[in-house]
Amino acid sequence: MPIHEKNLVDKNRLLVKEEAKLDGLDVSGQWSTFIEQRILGDYSTDVLDAVASTPAGKTIVNCWQCGTCTAGCCMHTDFGLREFNPRYFIYLAQKGAEDELKKYAPVIWRCVTCNKCVERCPKGVRVEEVVHSIEGYMRSKGWMGDTPASRWDEAFVKNTLQTGVLDELALTRSYVSREKLAEFNNRFMLRMALKLVRTGRIRTGPLRHRVKGWEKVRGVAKEILEGGGDG
Amino acid sequence: MVEVQEKIDGMAFYPGCSLDGLGKAYEKSAKAVIQDLGIQVENIKNYNCCGATEVKTVNYDLSVFLPARNLALAKNMGSSVVVAPCNGCVYSLSRANKAVTEDESTRQRINGYLGKAGVSSYDGSVEVKHLLEVIYQRAGPQAVRSHVKKPLSGLKVACYYGCLYTRPKVYTGAGLQEGKDNPEHPHYMDDLLEAAGATVVDFSAKTICCGGGHAVADREVSLGFSAAILNEATRAGADVVSTMCPLGHINIETNIPKIIEQYGDAIVRPVMYFTQLLGVAFGHSRKDVRLADNFSGADTAMHRLGF
Repeated sequence: MPIHEKNLVDKNRLLVKEEAKLDGLDVSGQWSTFIEQRILGDYSTDVLDAVASTPAGKTIVNCWQCGTCTAGCCMHTDFGLREFNPRYFIYLAQKGAEDELKKYAPVIWRCVTCNKCVERCPKGVRVEEVVHSIEGYMRSKGWMGDTPASRWDEAFVKNTLQTGVLDELALTRSYVSREKLAEFNNRFMLRMALKLVRTGRIRTGPLRHRVKGWEKVRGVAKEILEGGGDG
Repeated sequence: MVEVQEKIDGMAFYPGCSLDGLGKAYEKSAKAVIQDLGIQVENIKNYNCCGATEVKTVNYDLSVFLPARNLALAKNMGSSVVVAPCNGCVYSLSRANKAVTEDESTRQRINGYLGKAGVSSYDGSVEVKHLLEVIYQRAGPQAVRSHVKKPLSGLKVACYYGCLYTRPKVYTGAGLQEGKDNPEHPHYMDDLLEAAGATVVDFSAKTICCGGGHAVADREVSLGFSAAILNEATRAGADVVSTMCPLGHINIETNIPKIIEQYGDAIVRPVMYFTQLLGVAFGHSRKDVRLADNFSGADTAMHRLGF
Protein backbone atom coordinates (compact mmCIF):
# COMPACT_ATOMS: atom_id res chain seq x y z
CA MET A 1 0.00 0.00 0.00
CA PRO A 2 1.44 3.38 -0.89
CA ILE A 3 2.41 5.76 1.87
CA HIS A 4 0.53 8.85 0.79
CA GLU A 5 2.40 11.28 2.95
CA LYS A 6 5.70 10.70 1.18
CA ASN A 7 4.51 13.14 -1.52
CA LEU A 8 4.46 15.79 1.16
CA VAL A 9 8.17 15.62 1.80
CA ASP A 10 9.93 18.41 0.04
CA LYS A 11 12.56 16.71 -2.15
CA ASN A 12 15.30 19.17 -1.30
CA ARG A 13 14.84 18.46 2.39
CA LEU A 14 15.78 14.82 1.98
CA LEU A 15 19.22 13.96 3.25
CA VAL A 16 20.66 10.73 1.91
CA LYS A 17 23.79 9.65 3.74
CA GLU A 18 26.39 7.31 2.30
CA GLU A 19 26.98 5.81 5.70
CA ALA A 20 24.67 6.01 8.64
CA LYS A 21 25.21 4.81 12.19
CA LEU A 22 22.56 4.92 14.93
CA ASP A 23 23.74 4.09 18.46
CA GLY A 24 26.75 2.37 16.99
CA LEU A 25 24.62 0.24 14.67
CA ASP A 26 25.31 0.51 10.94
CA VAL A 27 22.04 1.36 9.18
CA SER A 28 23.54 2.35 5.82
CA GLY A 29 21.60 1.36 2.74
CA GLN A 30 17.85 1.66 2.79
CA TRP A 31 17.71 3.29 6.24
CA SER A 32 20.08 6.08 5.28
CA THR A 33 17.48 8.66 4.23
CA PHE A 34 16.58 11.44 6.66
CA ILE A 35 14.33 14.48 6.51
CA GLU A 36 15.84 17.81 7.40
CA GLN A 37 13.97 19.42 10.25
CA ARG A 38 12.04 22.63 9.70
CA ILE A 39 9.13 24.51 11.24
CA LEU A 40 5.97 24.67 9.13
CA GLY A 41 4.54 28.14 9.17
CA ASP A 42 3.37 28.60 5.63
CA TYR A 43 0.19 26.58 5.77
CA SER A 44 -3.20 28.02 4.95
CA THR A 45 -6.31 27.42 7.03
CA ASP A 46 -8.61 28.41 4.17
CA VAL A 47 -9.81 24.91 3.29
CA LEU A 48 -10.41 23.89 6.89
CA ASP A 49 -12.17 27.16 7.72
CA ALA A 50 -14.38 26.93 4.65
CA VAL A 51 -15.33 23.28 5.19
CA ALA A 52 -15.87 23.73 8.95
CA SER A 53 -18.20 26.65 8.28
CA THR A 54 -20.65 24.55 6.24
CA PRO A 55 -23.37 22.61 8.06
CA ALA A 56 -22.35 19.43 6.24
CA GLY A 57 -18.64 19.85 6.90
CA LYS A 58 -18.64 21.26 10.42
CA THR A 59 -17.57 17.96 12.05
CA ILE A 60 -14.19 18.04 10.25
CA VAL A 61 -12.69 19.71 13.32
CA ASN A 62 -13.24 16.54 15.38
CA CYS A 63 -11.00 14.39 13.19
CA TRP A 64 -7.89 13.08 14.92
CA GLN A 65 -6.64 11.07 11.92
CA CYS A 66 -7.09 7.55 13.21
CA GLY A 67 -8.04 6.16 9.80
CA THR A 68 -11.03 4.06 10.90
CA CYS A 69 -13.06 5.68 8.10
CA THR A 70 -10.62 4.54 5.46
CA ALA A 71 -10.26 1.04 6.90
CA GLY A 72 -13.94 0.41 6.17
CA CYS A 73 -14.33 2.65 3.13
CA CYS A 74 -15.88 0.59 0.33
CA MET A 75 -14.17 2.62 -2.39
CA HIS A 76 -10.79 2.20 -0.74
CA THR A 77 -11.11 -1.38 0.45
CA ASP A 78 -13.76 -3.26 -1.57
CA PHE A 79 -13.32 -1.45 -4.85
CA GLY A 80 -9.59 -1.19 -4.22
CA LEU A 81 -9.14 2.42 -5.29
CA ARG A 82 -6.25 3.17 -2.93
CA GLU A 83 -6.11 6.83 -3.94
CA PHE A 84 -9.56 7.21 -2.44
CA ASN A 85 -8.57 7.83 1.15
CA PRO A 86 -11.02 9.92 3.20
CA ARG A 87 -8.65 10.19 6.16
CA TYR A 88 -6.03 11.68 3.87
CA PHE A 89 -8.48 14.09 2.23
CA ILE A 90 -9.36 15.38 5.69
CA TYR A 91 -5.68 15.52 6.63
CA LEU A 92 -4.87 17.62 3.59
CA ALA A 93 -7.79 19.92 4.27
CA GLN A 94 -6.77 20.31 7.91
CA LYS A 95 -3.18 20.91 6.94
CA GLY A 96 -4.02 23.34 4.19
CA ALA A 97 -1.99 21.35 1.64
CA GLU A 98 -3.90 22.76 -1.30
CA ASP A 99 -1.56 21.62 -4.08
CA GLU A 100 -1.60 18.06 -2.83
CA LEU A 101 -5.39 18.11 -2.44
CA LYS A 102 -5.79 19.25 -6.05
CA LYS A 103 -4.19 16.01 -7.21
CA TYR A 104 -7.19 14.10 -5.91
CA ALA A 105 -9.76 15.92 -8.04
CA PRO A 106 -10.02 12.89 -10.37
CA VAL A 107 -11.10 10.55 -7.55
CA ILE A 108 -12.68 12.49 -4.68
CA TRP A 109 -16.14 12.53 -6.34
CA ARG A 110 -16.38 8.73 -6.40
CA CYS A 111 -17.72 8.31 -2.83
CA VAL A 112 -20.93 6.28 -3.07
CA THR A 113 -22.38 7.51 0.26
CA CYS A 114 -22.41 4.09 1.95
CA ASN A 115 -21.80 5.82 5.29
CA LYS A 116 -19.65 3.13 6.89
CA CYS A 117 -17.19 5.89 7.74
CA VAL A 118 -19.80 7.98 9.54
CA GLU A 119 -21.09 4.90 11.33
CA ARG A 120 -17.68 3.91 12.65
CA CYS A 121 -15.90 7.19 13.30
CA PRO A 122 -15.03 7.22 17.02
CA LYS A 123 -14.99 11.02 17.06
CA GLY A 124 -18.36 11.71 15.47
CA VAL A 125 -16.97 13.08 12.23
CA ARG A 126 -19.58 12.76 9.49
CA VAL A 127 -16.83 11.76 7.13
CA GLU A 128 -18.96 11.19 4.03
CA GLU A 129 -20.52 14.65 4.31
CA VAL A 130 -17.15 16.21 5.12
CA VAL A 131 -15.59 14.63 2.02
CA HIS A 132 -18.46 15.92 -0.12
CA SER A 133 -17.98 19.30 1.48
CA ILE A 134 -14.24 19.26 0.63
CA GLU A 135 -15.20 18.29 -2.91
CA GLY A 136 -17.65 21.21 -2.99
CA TYR A 137 -14.89 23.57 -1.87
CA MET A 138 -12.53 22.25 -4.53
CA ARG A 139 -15.17 22.83 -7.18
CA SER A 140 -15.93 26.33 -5.92
CA LYS A 141 -12.22 27.15 -6.23
CA GLY A 142 -12.11 25.84 -9.77
CA TRP A 143 -9.69 23.05 -8.81
CA MET A 144 -12.04 20.59 -10.40
CA GLY A 145 -14.86 20.80 -12.85
CA ASP A 146 -18.15 18.98 -12.82
CA THR A 147 -18.05 15.19 -12.62
CA PRO A 148 -20.37 12.39 -13.79
CA ALA A 149 -21.80 12.30 -10.26
CA SER A 150 -22.30 16.04 -9.93
CA ARG A 151 -24.01 16.14 -13.33
CA TRP A 152 -26.28 13.33 -12.18
CA ASP A 153 -27.09 15.13 -8.92
CA GLU A 154 -27.87 18.39 -10.75
CA ALA A 155 -30.12 16.49 -13.15
CA PHE A 156 -31.77 14.76 -10.18
CA VAL A 157 -32.61 18.10 -8.57
CA LYS A 158 -33.95 19.49 -11.84
CA ASN A 159 -36.10 16.42 -12.44
CA THR A 160 -37.46 16.36 -8.87
CA LEU A 161 -38.33 20.03 -8.84
CA GLN A 162 -40.52 19.71 -11.95
CA THR A 163 -43.35 17.86 -10.20
CA GLY A 164 -42.08 17.26 -6.68
CA VAL A 165 -41.67 13.55 -7.40
CA LEU A 166 -38.66 12.02 -9.05
CA ASP A 167 -39.23 10.29 -12.36
CA GLU A 168 -36.33 7.81 -12.35
CA LEU A 169 -36.92 6.71 -15.90
CA ALA A 170 -36.96 10.19 -17.38
CA LEU A 171 -33.89 11.13 -15.34
CA THR A 172 -31.97 8.06 -16.49
CA ARG A 173 -33.04 8.52 -20.10
CA SER A 174 -31.93 12.14 -20.29
CA TYR A 175 -28.70 11.45 -18.39
CA VAL A 176 -27.56 8.48 -20.44
CA SER A 177 -28.26 10.21 -23.72
CA ARG A 178 -26.35 13.30 -22.64
CA GLU A 179 -23.42 11.30 -21.29
CA LYS A 180 -23.57 8.93 -24.26
CA LEU A 181 -23.44 5.82 -22.09
CA ALA A 182 -23.24 3.06 -24.67
CA GLU A 183 -24.34 0.45 -22.17
CA PHE A 184 -27.77 2.01 -21.84
CA ASN A 185 -28.33 1.92 -25.57
CA ASN A 186 -31.69 2.20 -27.24
CA ARG A 187 -32.14 -1.55 -27.13
CA PHE A 188 -31.65 -1.70 -23.37
CA MET A 189 -33.90 1.29 -22.69
CA LEU A 190 -36.58 -0.03 -25.04
CA ARG A 191 -36.55 -3.44 -23.40
CA MET A 192 -36.87 -1.79 -20.02
CA ALA A 193 -39.67 0.52 -21.20
CA LEU A 194 -41.61 -2.41 -22.71
CA LYS A 195 -41.37 -4.30 -19.46
CA LEU A 196 -42.60 -1.26 -17.55
CA VAL A 197 -45.51 -0.75 -19.92
CA ARG A 198 -46.39 -4.43 -19.68
CA THR A 199 -46.41 -4.29 -15.88
CA GLY A 200 -48.21 -0.96 -15.76
CA ARG A 201 -45.43 1.10 -14.28
CA ILE A 202 -45.12 3.99 -16.69
CA ARG A 203 -46.08 7.05 -14.73
CA THR A 204 -48.98 8.40 -16.71
CA GLY A 205 -52.66 8.66 -16.15
CA PRO A 206 -54.73 9.73 -13.20
CA LEU A 207 -53.37 7.10 -10.80
CA ARG A 208 -49.93 8.67 -10.73
CA HIS A 209 -48.98 10.41 -7.52
CA ARG A 210 -49.14 14.17 -7.83
CA VAL A 211 -48.14 16.83 -5.33
CA LYS A 212 -50.97 19.31 -5.10
CA GLY A 213 -49.83 22.93 -4.97
CA TRP A 214 -46.28 21.98 -5.92
CA GLU A 215 -45.72 25.28 -7.79
CA LYS A 216 -45.61 27.09 -4.47
CA VAL A 217 -43.12 24.62 -2.97
CA ARG A 218 -41.04 24.73 -6.14
CA GLY A 219 -40.90 28.51 -5.81
CA VAL A 220 -39.39 28.12 -2.33
CA ALA A 221 -36.97 25.45 -3.58
CA LYS A 222 -35.81 27.75 -6.39
CA GLU A 223 -35.32 30.53 -3.88
CA ILE A 224 -33.17 28.24 -1.71
CA LEU A 225 -31.07 27.25 -4.73
CA GLU A 226 -30.59 30.87 -5.80
CA GLY A 227 -29.79 32.01 -2.27
CA GLY A 228 -26.98 29.52 -1.96
CA GLY A 229 -28.74 27.61 0.82
CA ASP A 230 -25.78 27.54 3.17
CA GLY A 231 -23.43 25.36 1.21
CA MET B 1 -52.44 28.99 4.53
CA VAL B 2 -51.30 25.87 6.27
CA GLU B 3 -52.31 22.50 4.84
CA VAL B 4 -54.45 20.58 7.29
CA GLN B 5 -54.60 16.83 6.92
CA GLU B 6 -56.98 14.32 8.45
CA LYS B 7 -55.80 13.12 11.84
CA ILE B 8 -54.90 9.46 12.10
CA ASP B 9 -54.09 7.11 14.95
CA GLY B 10 -51.62 4.84 13.21
CA MET B 11 -48.31 5.48 11.57
CA ALA B 12 -47.78 7.63 8.52
CA PHE B 13 -46.45 5.81 5.47
CA TYR B 14 -43.98 7.57 3.20
CA PRO B 15 -43.82 5.61 -0.08
CA GLY B 16 -41.18 7.77 -1.71
CA CYS B 17 -40.84 8.05 -5.46
CA SER B 18 -39.78 4.51 -6.28
CA LEU B 19 -42.85 2.81 -4.93
CA ASP B 20 -45.09 4.70 -7.30
CA GLY B 21 -42.96 3.70 -10.27
CA LEU B 22 -40.26 1.09 -10.66
CA GLY B 23 -40.86 -0.29 -7.18
CA LYS B 24 -44.61 -0.89 -7.55
CA ALA B 25 -44.14 -4.54 -6.58
CA TYR B 26 -42.58 -3.44 -3.30
CA GLU B 27 -45.55 -1.20 -2.49
CA LYS B 28 -48.18 -3.81 -3.35
CA SER B 29 -46.45 -6.61 -1.48
CA ALA B 30 -45.60 -4.42 1.53
CA LYS B 31 -49.18 -3.20 1.84
CA ALA B 32 -50.49 -6.77 1.57
CA VAL B 33 -48.11 -8.03 4.23
CA ILE B 34 -48.72 -5.27 6.76
CA GLN B 35 -52.45 -5.57 6.27
CA ASP B 36 -52.25 -9.30 6.99
CA LEU B 37 -50.27 -8.55 10.12
CA GLY B 38 -52.78 -5.92 11.25
CA ILE B 39 -50.37 -2.99 11.14
CA GLN B 40 -52.16 0.26 10.44
CA VAL B 41 -50.50 2.83 8.21
CA GLU B 42 -51.82 5.76 6.27
CA ASN B 43 -50.05 7.34 3.29
CA ILE B 44 -48.81 10.89 3.73
CA LYS B 45 -50.93 12.78 1.25
CA ASN B 46 -49.18 15.13 -1.09
CA TYR B 47 -45.74 13.82 -0.18
CA ASN B 48 -42.77 14.93 -2.28
CA CYS B 49 -39.40 13.43 -3.13
CA CYS B 50 -37.14 13.29 -0.05
CA GLY B 51 -34.03 14.21 -2.05
CA ALA B 52 -32.37 10.84 -1.41
CA THR B 53 -28.59 11.19 -1.25
CA GLU B 54 -28.36 13.35 -4.37
CA VAL B 55 -29.79 16.71 -3.32
CA LYS B 56 -27.41 17.12 -0.39
CA THR B 57 -24.39 17.45 -2.65
CA VAL B 58 -26.14 20.22 -4.56
CA ASN B 59 -27.58 22.25 -1.71
CA TYR B 60 -27.67 21.65 2.05
CA ASP B 61 -30.80 23.62 2.87
CA LEU B 62 -32.76 22.05 0.03
CA SER B 63 -31.67 18.60 1.23
CA VAL B 64 -33.22 19.33 4.62
CA PHE B 65 -36.25 21.25 3.37
CA LEU B 66 -37.53 18.48 1.03
CA PRO B 67 -37.69 15.71 3.67
CA ALA B 68 -38.74 18.16 6.40
CA ARG B 69 -41.85 19.02 4.39
CA ASN B 70 -42.88 15.34 4.41
CA LEU B 71 -42.20 15.04 8.13
CA ALA B 72 -44.20 18.20 8.82
CA LEU B 73 -47.11 16.79 6.81
CA ALA B 74 -46.91 13.55 8.81
CA LYS B 75 -46.90 15.48 12.07
CA ASN B 76 -49.90 17.41 10.85
CA MET B 77 -51.70 14.10 10.35
CA GLY B 78 -51.24 13.47 14.06
CA SER B 79 -48.65 10.81 13.50
CA SER B 80 -45.54 10.45 15.62
CA VAL B 81 -43.96 7.80 13.39
CA VAL B 82 -43.15 7.81 9.68
CA VAL B 83 -42.60 4.45 8.04
CA ALA B 84 -40.43 4.44 4.94
CA PRO B 85 -39.73 1.31 2.89
CA CYS B 86 -36.58 2.70 1.26
CA ASN B 87 -33.15 2.98 2.86
CA GLY B 88 -32.45 6.24 0.99
CA CYS B 89 -35.66 7.78 2.33
CA VAL B 90 -34.92 6.59 5.88
CA TYR B 91 -31.52 8.26 5.56
CA SER B 92 -32.67 11.62 4.28
CA LEU B 93 -35.73 11.84 6.56
CA SER B 94 -33.74 10.98 9.68
CA ARG B 95 -30.94 13.30 8.60
CA ALA B 96 -33.48 16.14 8.36
CA ASN B 97 -34.66 15.30 11.88
CA LYS B 98 -31.12 15.61 13.16
CA ALA B 99 -30.49 18.82 11.24
CA VAL B 100 -33.48 20.65 12.72
CA THR B 101 -32.95 19.37 16.26
CA GLU B 102 -29.21 19.90 16.59
CA ASP B 103 -28.95 23.37 15.14
CA GLU B 104 -31.16 26.30 16.04
CA SER B 105 -30.30 28.39 12.99
CA THR B 106 -30.98 25.49 10.61
CA ARG B 107 -34.36 24.95 12.26
CA GLN B 108 -35.24 28.60 11.85
CA ARG B 109 -34.22 28.69 8.20
CA ILE B 110 -36.08 25.44 7.42
CA ASN B 111 -39.22 26.60 9.21
CA GLY B 112 -39.03 29.85 7.28
CA TYR B 113 -39.06 27.86 4.02
CA LEU B 114 -41.82 25.54 5.27
CA GLY B 115 -43.96 28.54 6.17
CA LYS B 116 -43.52 30.02 2.71
CA ALA B 117 -44.40 26.63 1.19
CA GLY B 118 -47.64 26.54 3.18
CA VAL B 119 -46.66 23.83 5.65
CA SER B 120 -46.70 24.09 9.43
CA SER B 121 -43.37 24.39 11.17
CA TYR B 122 -41.42 21.31 12.16
CA ASP B 123 -39.39 20.49 15.27
CA GLY B 124 -37.84 17.11 14.46
CA SER B 125 -40.22 15.16 16.70
CA VAL B 126 -41.56 12.58 14.22
CA GLU B 127 -39.69 9.31 14.48
CA VAL B 128 -38.49 7.73 11.23
CA LYS B 129 -38.58 3.94 10.92
CA HIS B 130 -37.81 1.55 8.15
CA LEU B 131 -40.65 -0.75 7.10
CA LEU B 132 -38.59 -3.76 8.16
CA GLU B 133 -38.15 -2.39 11.69
CA VAL B 134 -41.86 -1.73 11.93
CA ILE B 135 -42.81 -5.24 10.80
CA TYR B 136 -40.29 -6.68 13.24
CA GLN B 137 -41.29 -4.51 16.18
CA ARG B 138 -45.06 -4.45 15.71
CA ALA B 139 -45.49 -8.03 14.57
CA GLY B 140 -42.23 -9.93 14.84
CA PRO B 141 -41.26 -13.49 13.96
CA GLN B 142 -44.00 -14.97 16.18
CA ALA B 143 -46.82 -13.19 14.37
CA VAL B 144 -45.22 -13.93 11.00
CA ARG B 145 -45.13 -17.63 11.89
CA SER B 146 -48.81 -17.63 12.76
CA HIS B 147 -49.73 -16.04 9.41
CA VAL B 148 -47.78 -18.45 7.23
CA LYS B 149 -50.03 -20.44 4.93
CA LYS B 150 -47.39 -21.62 2.51
CA PRO B 151 -44.05 -21.97 4.27
CA LEU B 152 -40.97 -21.08 2.27
CA SER B 153 -39.57 -24.51 3.06
CA GLY B 154 -36.43 -25.41 1.22
CA LEU B 155 -35.91 -21.89 -0.10
CA LYS B 156 -32.41 -20.65 0.62
CA VAL B 157 -32.37 -16.88 0.99
CA ALA B 158 -29.52 -14.36 1.22
CA CYS B 159 -30.76 -11.28 3.08
CA TYR B 160 -29.28 -8.10 1.65
CA TYR B 161 -29.80 -5.03 3.87
CA GLY B 162 -27.66 -2.46 2.07
CA CYS B 163 -26.12 0.72 3.33
CA LEU B 164 -28.49 3.22 4.78
CA TYR B 165 -30.91 1.01 6.72
CA THR B 166 -29.02 1.38 9.98
CA ARG B 167 -26.16 3.60 8.91
CA PRO B 168 -25.20 6.05 10.15
CA LYS B 169 -26.30 5.67 13.77
CA VAL B 170 -26.06 9.41 14.35
CA TYR B 171 -29.17 9.75 12.13
CA THR B 172 -30.96 6.41 12.42
CA GLY B 173 -30.26 5.75 16.08
CA ALA B 174 -29.41 2.11 15.32
CA GLY B 175 -27.31 0.66 18.10
CA LEU B 176 -28.11 3.66 20.28
CA GLN B 177 -31.87 3.33 20.84
CA GLU B 178 -34.27 0.53 21.66
CA GLY B 179 -36.20 -0.94 18.76
CA LYS B 180 -33.42 -0.67 16.20
CA ASP B 181 -31.52 -3.36 14.38
CA ASN B 182 -27.84 -4.09 14.92
CA PRO B 183 -25.89 -1.67 12.71
CA GLU B 184 -23.02 -4.03 11.87
CA HIS B 185 -24.91 -7.33 11.89
CA PRO B 186 -28.57 -6.64 11.15
CA HIS B 187 -30.82 -9.67 11.59
CA TYR B 188 -34.46 -8.53 11.45
CA MET B 189 -34.95 -9.73 7.87
CA ASP B 190 -33.19 -13.01 8.62
CA ASP B 191 -35.49 -13.63 11.59
CA LEU B 192 -38.69 -12.77 9.71
CA LEU B 193 -37.89 -14.91 6.68
CA GLU B 194 -36.81 -17.78 8.91
CA ALA B 195 -40.15 -17.49 10.67
CA ALA B 196 -41.75 -17.75 7.23
CA GLY B 197 -40.03 -21.09 6.76
CA ALA B 198 -37.07 -20.08 4.62
CA THR B 199 -33.51 -21.17 5.21
CA VAL B 200 -31.44 -18.05 5.66
CA VAL B 201 -27.88 -18.52 4.48
CA ASP B 202 -24.85 -17.08 6.22
CA PHE B 203 -24.32 -14.06 3.99
CA SER B 204 -21.35 -11.81 4.55
CA ALA B 205 -22.35 -9.18 1.98
CA LYS B 206 -25.41 -8.15 4.07
CA THR B 207 -24.43 -4.55 4.51
CA ILE B 208 -21.91 -3.88 1.77
CA CYS B 209 -22.66 -1.10 -0.67
CA CYS B 210 -24.40 -1.92 -3.97
CA GLY B 211 -23.06 1.25 -5.60
CA GLY B 212 -26.62 2.48 -5.99
CA GLY B 213 -25.61 6.04 -5.10
CA HIS B 214 -23.75 6.15 -8.39
CA ALA B 215 -25.87 3.53 -10.17
CA VAL B 216 -25.64 5.32 -13.50
CA ALA B 217 -22.96 7.93 -12.87
CA ASP B 218 -20.15 5.50 -11.99
CA ARG B 219 -20.87 2.26 -13.84
CA GLU B 220 -17.62 0.54 -12.95
CA VAL B 221 -18.37 0.85 -9.25
CA SER B 222 -22.05 -0.07 -9.24
CA LEU B 223 -21.40 -3.02 -11.53
CA GLY B 224 -18.51 -4.29 -9.41
CA PHE B 225 -20.44 -4.01 -6.14
CA SER B 226 -23.62 -5.56 -7.54
CA ALA B 227 -21.60 -8.47 -8.91
CA ALA B 228 -19.89 -8.91 -5.54
CA ILE B 229 -23.25 -9.15 -3.76
CA LEU B 230 -24.62 -11.73 -6.20
CA ASN B 231 -21.37 -13.66 -6.16
CA GLU B 232 -21.36 -13.80 -2.38
CA ALA B 233 -25.01 -14.92 -2.32
CA THR B 234 -24.20 -17.69 -4.75
CA ARG B 235 -21.12 -18.70 -2.78
CA ALA B 236 -23.26 -18.91 0.36
CA GLY B 237 -25.59 -21.29 -1.46
CA ALA B 238 -28.61 -18.98 -1.80
CA ASP B 239 -31.44 -19.58 -4.29
CA VAL B 240 -32.61 -15.97 -4.13
CA VAL B 241 -31.48 -12.60 -2.81
CA SER B 242 -33.95 -10.72 -0.63
CA THR B 243 -33.84 -6.92 -0.62
CA MET B 244 -35.40 -4.08 1.31
CA CYS B 245 -34.44 -0.95 -0.62
CA PRO B 246 -35.91 -0.12 -4.03
CA LEU B 247 -32.77 1.69 -5.15
CA GLY B 248 -30.47 -1.19 -4.31
CA HIS B 249 -32.93 -3.69 -5.74
CA ILE B 250 -33.27 -1.93 -9.07
CA ASN B 251 -29.55 -1.21 -9.24
CA ILE B 252 -28.64 -4.88 -8.81
CA GLU B 253 -31.37 -6.05 -11.19
CA THR B 254 -30.54 -3.67 -14.01
CA ASN B 255 -26.87 -4.57 -13.67
CA ILE B 256 -27.57 -8.27 -14.24
CA PRO B 257 -27.33 -8.28 -18.08
CA LYS B 258 -23.89 -6.67 -17.86
CA ILE B 259 -22.82 -8.95 -14.99
CA ILE B 260 -23.73 -12.00 -17.10
CA GLU B 261 -21.73 -10.53 -19.97
CA GLN B 262 -18.66 -9.93 -17.79
CA TYR B 263 -18.72 -12.73 -15.23
CA GLY B 264 -21.10 -15.33 -16.65
CA ASP B 265 -24.53 -16.28 -15.35
CA ALA B 266 -23.33 -18.79 -12.74
CA ILE B 267 -23.10 -16.06 -10.09
CA VAL B 268 -26.50 -14.53 -10.79
CA ARG B 269 -29.47 -15.14 -8.51
CA PRO B 270 -32.99 -13.72 -8.78
CA VAL B 271 -33.60 -10.69 -6.60
CA MET B 272 -36.85 -9.99 -4.75
CA TYR B 273 -38.19 -7.70 -2.04
CA PHE B 274 -38.51 -9.32 1.38
CA THR B 275 -42.19 -8.37 1.34
CA GLN B 276 -42.68 -10.36 -1.86
CA LEU B 277 -41.28 -13.42 -0.10
CA LEU B 278 -43.37 -12.82 3.04
CA GLY B 279 -46.41 -12.24 0.81
CA VAL B 280 -45.94 -15.58 -0.92
CA ALA B 281 -45.55 -17.25 2.48
CA PHE B 282 -48.79 -15.59 3.64
CA GLY B 283 -50.62 -17.28 0.79
CA HIS B 284 -50.66 -14.48 -1.79
CA SER B 285 -50.10 -15.54 -5.36
CA ARG B 286 -46.95 -14.66 -7.29
CA LYS B 287 -49.17 -12.33 -9.29
CA ASP B 288 -50.47 -10.57 -6.16
CA VAL B 289 -46.96 -9.71 -5.06
CA ARG B 290 -46.06 -8.80 -8.65
CA LEU B 291 -43.04 -11.08 -8.96
CA ALA B 292 -43.24 -10.67 -12.74
CA ASP B 293 -42.30 -6.99 -12.24
CA ASN B 294 -38.77 -7.97 -11.24
CA PHE B 295 -36.11 -7.78 -13.92
CA SER B 296 -34.16 -10.74 -12.59
CA GLY B 297 -36.44 -13.64 -13.52
CA ALA B 298 -37.85 -13.83 -9.99
CA ASP B 299 -41.24 -15.09 -11.14
CA THR B 300 -39.92 -18.03 -13.18
CA ALA B 301 -37.43 -18.88 -10.46
CA MET B 302 -40.07 -18.99 -7.73
CA HIS B 303 -42.36 -21.02 -9.98
CA ARG B 304 -39.55 -23.47 -10.66
CA LEU B 305 -38.81 -23.72 -6.94
CA GLY B 306 -42.42 -24.69 -6.36
CA PHE B 307 -44.01 -21.46 -5.11
